[in-house]
Amino acid sequence: MINLPRPDLSDKSILIIEDYEGMRGILRDLLGRAGATRIAFAANSQAAIPLLERHRYDAVLCDLHLGQGLNGQQILEEARHRQLLAPHTVWLMVSAEKTAEMVTGTMESRPDDYLLKPITETLLFTRLSRQMARRQTLAPIEQAMRDREYLKAMNLTEAQLGRPTPHLWDLKRLKADLALHVGNHAHAREIYLEALGQRDLPWAHLGLAKIHFLEGRHAEARDELEQVTRGNRAYLEAHDWMARALDKLGDLDAAQAVLSAALTTSPHAPLRQGQLGEIAYRRGDLETAAGAFRRQVDLARQTPLKAADPYLWLSRVQLARGKADEALRALAELSVDLRTDDTARLLARALEIPVHLQAGARERARALAGELAAELGEQANELPAEAILELAKPLMDLGEKDTAATLLTSLVGNNHEHPEILERAKAVFAEAGLAEEGHALVDRATRAATESMNQGVKLAREGKLDEAIEFTREARARMPNNPRLLLNHAFLLIAWMEQYGRDLRIASEARSCIEMARRLKPGEKRAGELLTKLELVGNDFGG
Amino acid sequence: MGDADSKLDLTTFLLSSIHDMKNSMGVMVVYLQDALAARGDVPADTGVREKTAQALYEAQRVSDHLVQLLALYKIDQSFYPFDPQYHVLADLSREALARVADLAELKGISLESDCDEEVCAWLDYDLVFGVVVQALHNALRYGNQRVMLRVQAHASGARIRVEDDGPGFPDFLLAHGNARERGISFETGSTGLGLYFAGLVAGMHQGAGRSGALSLENGGPLGGGVFMLELP
Repeated sequence: MINLPRPDLSDKSILIIEDYEGMRGILRDLLGRAGATRIAFAANSQAAIPLLERHRYDAVLCDLHLGQGLNGQQILEEARHRQLLAPHTVWLMVSAEKTAEMVTGTMESRPDDYLLKPITETLLFTRLSRQMARRQTLAPIEQAMRDREYLKAMNLTEAQLGRPTPHLWDLKRLKADLALHVGNHAHAREIYLEALGQRDLPWAHLGLAKIHFLEGRHAEARDELEQVTRGNRAYLEAHDWMARALDKLGDLDAAQAVLSAALTTSPHAPLRQGQLGEIAYRRGDLETAAGAFRRQVDLARQTPLKAADPYLWLSRVQLARGKADEALRALAELSVDLRTDDTARLLARALEIPVHLQAGARERARALAGELAAELGEQANELPAEAILELAKPLMDLGEKDTAATLLTSLVGNNHEHPEILERAKAVFAEAGLAEEGHALVDRATRAATESMNQGVKLAREGKLDEAIEFTREARARMPNNPRLLLNHAFLLIAWMEQYGRDLRIASEARSCIEMARRLKPGEKRAGELLTKLELVGNDFGG
Repeated sequence: MGDADSKLDLTTFLLSSIHDMKNSMGVMVVYLQDALAARGDVPADTGVREKTAQALYEAQRVSDHLVQLLALYKIDQSFYPFDPQYHVLADLSREALARVADLAELKGISLESDCDEEVCAWLDYDLVFGVVVQALHNALRYGNQRVMLRVQAHASGARIRVEDDGPGFPDFLLAHGNARERGISFETGSTGLGLYFAGLVAGMHQGAGRSGALSLENGGPLGGGVFMLELP
């Protein structure tokens, strides 16, 4: 007789997140048969998150579809994002059927396994045992990734691959992801090609496509992604990258179609809704754009993905549709939903200015501009580029020329290598009949940025490393969102440590520069390479 | 409202009903297993256990079919998330055997396995698991005393065999099961779906320049039906 040995769960703490009471009972009884006594229950995300905050569970069983609040996938993402799980925690997602969400997603967004209903004793125990064993193997790698020691994580992965392992391709795939993260594209490519030599694997095609995309070969990225999407709309992440590639290739119609198809399969994806909104807006399809941003705002409201951008977009689109009321409503929602974020609150108020202007309430706009001018000037470096471009013209129009100039100087300083933004900054002045002044401002700010870069490099070449660092540090204070400057500064900091030894404060400054640059310019290869160098300078840096 | 609209509605109703039925069957399977596990409560000779076991078999069969229908729909509509991963087949084999162990015990059939621990293959776990469990259910239904699950390395992939000591497959099924093109034949009853599904799953597994294959034969080491799935 074949019977699987039950795992011993007597010393394990387990969280069950399940909205259906009957199912909670079934799962508790099953776990009880393996001796589990430390079981906690939550019926929804509101109950689950506080439990996850307080305790590091050994395993979480979570239903994908919960009645109210976040769904299981969103809870997992929040828990991973906020590091509410231990490196060895096993997360099993319970679902009624296999869906597209299950085959895509990055390392951070995938649960350890899916359990398809009906949940029997066999299913639960085999998967739980298997994943607990797998997590034990992966825990040191996971810990290194949390400490952001990606090189160490890669070496640990390599070491495991040197022994016979049932997780061979899991580990290889993880190694490829890590290599991509630290900018070692060649190594990642090697693994993806090896995988494709085995089978026609969607994730390997996707990996190759990402490399093409990051290295600027957009047509090759599109062709590679076609191998995956080809008539199948289940591979969602491939659709997102396909839309990005098509966008770069100038085919906005096709990009929109690809996103719409992916959203038919899986509509509960705030970032994808936002991507659709931007493409539709640029195509002039304001209806679609408004709908997409509305859904993005509603979907992201209760998640850690919540940010000001979608609200600003929604307001922008509604204004373009001539719906001033709707635009104001979006801004009002922003100031409520992100009330603890000072910049978001400032933006919510400031962007009322163009709305009032367009609605003919000129005096109201003028009063608001006057009231906010000082604060806008102070926070210029915190404001998103699109918002600055949107505000500069009305401010100019309402006689707040100095504030507009401050905002645009900051914009140019942070984006001195971004020709499109420089042109748009000049256009704001030109429309106000101040074309020459605009040229002068943009030239001045661009030159200042370039000189800062050059001066830093020059001082470093002359061996005056301390002076060079002082220089770039000061430049960073003026242009905190300039990716090139951030990476130059990080480079110098690392060079300093190579010469004088590791220093915790300097290492942390370098890391924050690299991470900021990466947020501003995702996929920047140099950022990954500097991250590796930073790790090599010493290995005593814990997370 | 045109014809297209009413057809769409029917499909939607069918799909949501299948979902609903599948969930209900899932709960029913668990209850029946619990009922069978509560050995002390029912005297062994009342026949209740046997009838409950039969009900469990039928419930699992319906549940399997509903799952297959949903998968077939997604495959047909090009949104089944086919996800080949490199698996240790011994894991799949243990899980499949444990899934049908209750039933085997109640029917007094000895469930055996001959599985090489080292064999790995690229496969979509859920699809192949579904096919193997169904083959085991079928073997338990027609077998007399023994059912065997064998997993062997085969070329670069694996061969999974489910053997029984029953009367074997009827001729029309042998022809049907080995035919390249399989369709649902309403005259032969429900077996069409299971075989069609198994054949489709086999064909979806491709690699090393070859395609997965399904075959049925009679005889074999136990003298009854042999269901064989080859993965490249």
